[in-house]
Amino acid sequence: MTATTATAPVTPTEANGYHLNFARILRSEWIKFTSLRSTVWVAVVTVGVMVGFSFLMGFGMTQIAQGGGGMEEAGFGGTGTVIGTSVASFGYYFGQIVVAVLGVLIVTGEYSTGQIKSTLTAVPTRLPVLAAKGAIVAITSFVLGAVGVAIAVLVTTPMLSTYDLQVDLSDSASLQSLLGVPLYMTAIALFAFAIGTLMRHAAAGIATVLGMLLLLPILGSIQIQWIQDIAPYLPGAAGERIIIGEQLGAVLTPWQGFGVLMIWVVAALAAAAVLLRRRDA
Amino acid sequence: MIEAHGLTKKYGDKVAVNDISFTVNPGRVTGFLGPNGAGKSTTMRMIVGLDRPTHGSVTVNGKPYVQHRAPLREVGALLEAKAVHSGRSATNHLRGLAATHGIAKARVHEVIDMTGLAAVAGKRVGGFSLGMGQRLGIAAAMLGDPRTLILDEPVNGLDPEGVKWVRTMVRYLADEGRTVFLSSHLMSEMAITADELIVIGRGRIITTGAVQDVIDAVTKSSVRVRSPQAEDLVARLQGADVTVTSLEPSLLKVDGLSAEQIGEAAAAGGFVLHELTPMRASLEEAYMTLTADDVEYHSHGAGEETAPAVVAETEGANR
Repeated sequence: MTATTATAPVTPTEANGYHLNFARILRSEWIKFTSLRSTVWVAVVTVGVMVGFSFLMGFGMTQIAQGGGGMEEAGFGGTGTVIGTSVASFGYYFGQIVVAVLGVLIVTGEYSTGQIKSTLTAVPTRLPVLAAKGAIVAITSFVLGAVGVAIAVLVTTPMLSTYDLQVDLSDSASLQSLLGVPLYMTAIALFAFAIGTLMRHAAAGIATVLGMLLLLPILGSIQIQWIQDIAPYLPGAAGERIIIGEQLGAVLTPWQGFGVLMIWVVAALAAAAVLLRRRDA
Repeated sequence: MIEAHGLTKKYGDKVAVNDISFTVNPGRVTGFLGPNGAGKSTTMRMIVGLDRPTHGSVTVNGKPYVQHRAPLREVGALLEAKAVHSGRSATNHLRGLAATHGIAKARVHEVIDMTGLAAVAGKRVGGFSLGMGQRLGIAAAMLGDPRTLILDEPVNGLDPEGVKWVRTMVRYLADEGRTVFLSSHLMSEMAITADELIVIGRGRIITTGAVQDVIDAVTKSSVRVRSPQAEDLVARLQGADVTVTSLEPSLLKVDGLSAEQIGEAAAAGGFVLHELTPMRASLEEAYMTLTADDVEYHSHGAGEETAPAVVAETEGANR
């Protein structure tokens, strides 16, 4: 621990190829992401809750079917694959909460610990950090959503097939709904990430995102016209259209709904980018 | 090399840094000295682009920090201990930083060994003591083998061995031709470590220059004279720049004359001297003199704290 062994001689900056580029910043963020224990927990919990709630939902369906009551009588219309799809995708509602928390914490965790100062000193242009973190949030959420829904299909198919209610993977509407789960979760996680970047505070960020996703939809039940008018365009309600699929009386088609959610995401990310650049770290 | 021009930072109405300009040269250890709240940290944060100046600009090695392609090769900064996610190990923290510049893993282990963190490198940073956090901060600063080092209160929380290590290291780095800029609120620390000083108080630069020059400029030497004929001796010692203070009936403090001059004057007048002691104001006194008017947070009631005000008044009387 002597200073004389401390440092190599001063060499010109470019000589050894040490400099910033996006691939390296992405790699740095990946190292940071995977070196936290909470990352493993988020992965396990996301897939766990998605599969778990699908399983419970599927079990409930078999109980109804077993009881001899028709699905229509129980309020579940449609063909077998519609039931199977709604069972397999049911976990998104819970999975979105976990990836939303992940999206908020990946950035607010840096502010609460002071890490952000190290991060932004290494990458003073700042925006590549936002892009790299965003990419990691998006990829992780998509993979977790896809794995979660795939396992949910595998787990629920045996019990549902007894009553011919399993997912029919050759049905394009069913596939769109299932693919909608990772897409929706990715968009929600990015939205949460943007809110976290704007708020810079874990509790505030999580409260805002979960409030928008879970509480605002409740307002939709208030019979006031202007509330009724905006309710379908809220991030959760709009984005869910891709999972729920074609629905009679829905204001937005599935892809329109997802498009509206993406507008929320892009707007929030743009605001986050502007403020990240402008504010003192 | 760090060059600041008219650097100003306001937080709302509060001016943290007020139009300061300075240059920090390579090959020297430059101390940034000032009381708490003087604007040292804010200035350092502006240098590395964490805070945006309200006015003015600052460049590092010729360019604003943000424009460098390899910022960690230009500047290694320790801005606050534990600017680290508490859930990550020291090694992983450094690996993450190194990856941004494509710095090899071998260098990560090098800085870990160099800062004496090898034993705890795999442990989560949340459990680190202040001193270990400080060492990790220094390791991070050294990662890119930078031409310029900016260290905010680097010896804070270090044990005596650590303090000595930092001193040796910054001296070595400066001798290699690097720019070393470190802050402290302790004059005594600066006197040992630094070559040059920039003294700041309430966001303004009070004085700059070589450490000894700064000290000499503010430390007036005085002489303690004890004589049974003190009252008569006073008349003998009068002069244009001379101030004589009577501390006790037979004890005088003389400013503006050397011990030799006083001794000769006493001999010429046939006065008996019991004591003739040259005294030098301590570094801390000098520093307090410098910043007496610029301390952001005064403490009252403690005997120590009232001393600088007295020194300042005496000085004022001299002029």
